[in-house]
Amino acid sequence: MAGPLDGYRVVEIAEGVAGPYTAMSLGDAGADVIKIEQPAGDRARGWSPQTDSGTSALFQALNRNKRGISLDWSSESDLETARQLLADADVAIVDKAGLSGELSWESLDAPGLVYCAISGFGPHGPWSDNPMSELAAQLASEATASLGTIGEEPVRHGGDIGSMYAANYAIQAICAGLYARDDSDPSAPTGGQRIEVSLFGSLLAMRSTLWVALSNPDEWWGFHLDSYVKPPDHGYQCRDLPIYFSLARIRGDAFDSLIDELGMDWARTHPDFDQLRTDGAGGAGRYAAELKPLWERGFSNFDAERVIEIVERHGGWAFPMHDYERLSRDPQVAAVGAIIDVEQGDGSMLQQVAPPWDFEGTPVSMNMRAAPSLGEHQDEVLAELHS
Amino acid sequence: MPGPLDGVRVFDLTLWMVGPWASMHLGALGADVIHIEQPGVDPRTLGAGVPPAINGTSVGYITWNMNKRGLFLDLKSQADRQTAYELLQTCDVFLINMRPGAAERMGVGYEQVVAANPNIVYTAITGWGEIGPMRDKPGADVQCQYFTGFWSVNGKRDGKPEVYRHFTQMDASTGNVAAQAVLMGLLARKRTGRGQRIHVGMLRAGMALQSGRIAEYLATGAQHQPLGSAGFAAAPDQAFQCQGGDWIGVAATSEDEWSRLCQALNASEAQVDGLSDLVVDPRFATNLDRVAHRDALASLLQQAILQRPRRYWMLRLADAGVPCGYPISFESLQHHAQTIENGYLREITTSGWGDVWTGGPPWELSRTPARWFGTPMPGEHTGDILDDLTKRRASTAEPTPVIGD
Repeated sequence: MAGPLDGYRVVEIAEGVAGPYTAMSLGDAGADVIKIEQPAGDRARGWSPQTDSGTSALFQALNRNKRGISLDWSSESDLETARQLLADADVAIVDKAGLSGELSWESLDAPGLVYCAISGFGPHGPWSDNPMSELAAQLASEATASLGTIGEEPVRHGGDIGSMYAANYAIQAICAGLYARDDSDPSAPTGGQRIEVSLFGSLLAMRSTLWVALSNPDEWWGFHLDSYVKPPDHGYQCRDLPIYFSLARIRGDAFDSLIDELGMDWARTHPDFDQLRTDGAGGAGRYAAELKPLWERGFSNFDAERVIEIVERHGGWAFPMHDYERLSRDPQVAAVGAIIDVEQGDGSMLQQVAPPWDFEGTPVSMNMRAAPSLGEHQDEVLAELHS
Repeated sequence: MPGPLDGVRVFDLTLWMVGPWASMHLGALGADVIHIEQPGVDPRTLGAGVPPAINGTSVGYITWNMNKRGLFLDLKSQADRQTAYELLQTCDVFLINMRPGAAERMGVGYEQVVAANPNIVYTAITGWGEIGPMRDKPGADVQCQYFTGFWSVNGKRDGKPEVYRHFTQMDASTGNVAAQAVLMGLLARKRTGRGQRIHVGMLRAGMALQSGRIAEYLATGAQHQPLGSAGFAAAPDQAFQCQGGDWIGVAATSEDEWSRLCQALNASEAQVDGLSDLVVDPRFATNLDRVAHRDALASLLQQAILQRPRRYWMLRLADAGVPCGYPISFESLQHHAQTIENGYLREITTSGWGDVWTGGPPWELSRTPARWFGTPMPGEHTGDILDDLTKRRASTAEPTPVIGD
């Protein structure tokens, strides 16, 4: 089916998170993706947690819409097969773990190929050869400074954000490389090129607001700065669940009414009561951490849903803090179709997250192909190559 | 060398962060991004006025509007609206992030823009989506981090999950996804000859960012509980304390890395009972075994790593091909060879706010390199852009479209 990248062919020689998600996104958008695994298979197949099929849920979620073959880099004929596949492709997505040194950009005879290498720390510098690691990249880029308590054991973001950020940047650069190739003057074609993206560089780019904030601010305060030293933020605990809450436009009479309705009359004699009225009293505000116990004492008498209703009615902002279980049941998530069913080889269904773009002219097909078993499409792909 | 999007022009009707972040990256890739601001806008309100500021302007605005030119247009004025339609005829991409319905009220809904330029790649960014019970709610980064569970997988071991205290990551991720969508729309236009309307919402972009973790929940019904520095998928993959108290992150997420880590630990001659048998210990035979016994494994590794300083382990592990890294602060990163040689942090001169440090570009393209240049003042290039339109008017017979609202 169509999709904006219909007609493009992609070869993925990568494993784990970043490379596979990049390739899957191009496949979701309509490209024909061939995933090459070495005989040991993508390392993510053996990660936890596993599904009933004996492969990790993560692998299933990051490898749909691909055909899979297995090649052994110790075999010269397999290397030659890979070279032929790359010569026929528009895009290569490679990482060091998946790649043989004999398939470097420079060694290939593929002038139109957009060749994207994803690494842990970037192509230059003392760590250019260090193996890719989500944890190492998060630590080195300061991402862990936004979690935990300063001076204690680092806390990582549990969402593989370095790998996912790198993938999102790789998708951009690959599409830009294809555009440069296909848009260029035929008498002086731009051709393909080599692209480099890293987890470390992507994490640093995503924290740019902090770097500007740390440059020369008028005042050394603001949530781009004090987040470094704030305590861990668990949201505002109500009787049942936590919420996010901010006063926003709650002022004057509305504020007094809010205090009444939350049964917080006791707060009027509290020494910090005047602070409660200020901009910094909620959300990520300046005094939020100090004032949170007062709000939570009020919120503890109500369920989250009720607190959200009260706050919104008074002109504030309040949102539920969903875990994935509550998120997956939320009516808005259903309305926008954020979760899709992907039929597996055995006919069972696995739920996954939908691709994030809506193309009205070249819609993405939601009829997804399940992640391949190791070498599942070997004969099919090799037959195409020799036809 | 020009960038990959050389010749592409973007009509950038974006504000706050998510839209500006998208267009900033298109500008870095070589597109001529024309960022629209209301004439006479108060600089203190730019970027939602979120502190800290530099020369009175939120650092957000300064960060998110690099790689652009600035144009004043008042879309409430009929004359400026006609200028907008004329400018749109010269553009390839239209980009907006406002709540559903706002574009139509400003005269730049899809039908109105297509009337001026039928081949435009029109991209609308929303918070919660264009449908559903929450479509009209304010959708900012903070709300989306909380709503999508971005907080639910982080935290100290055995502690409550905690929020990632950098409220830009959902905006930036959605902006990145929007830039992807624009690029894909441009590629589709090459093939089909037609532009189209594209939509990206923060809710779905934020969930896509968490594709792996959410799919794990959906497949197993189990919500991850925070593990401190440790990863869920593999073991070992966590921070350990070295001699002297410094932290180092050590990961072995493949069988190959695991055996190399075992070799490096043995070569260190650290004295720990059972260390030399790690590689044959049945508790640690496969990744799933190591995950099942992650505490016992971590205890053994911690005892060994505590016996040597961090510099030792960084050299020993990197040399053995074992993934490792340690926490570095911005002040050190500014001068670190890894950031300098890759251009990952750079000092950029802006029009009204002096020199600032920022990240990027995050890609290296060998034949069509990306660029990064400083933020313009609002409307800074109004004269240049309007002069070009005047010249174009004189040189083409094409009439300016008159589009009613």
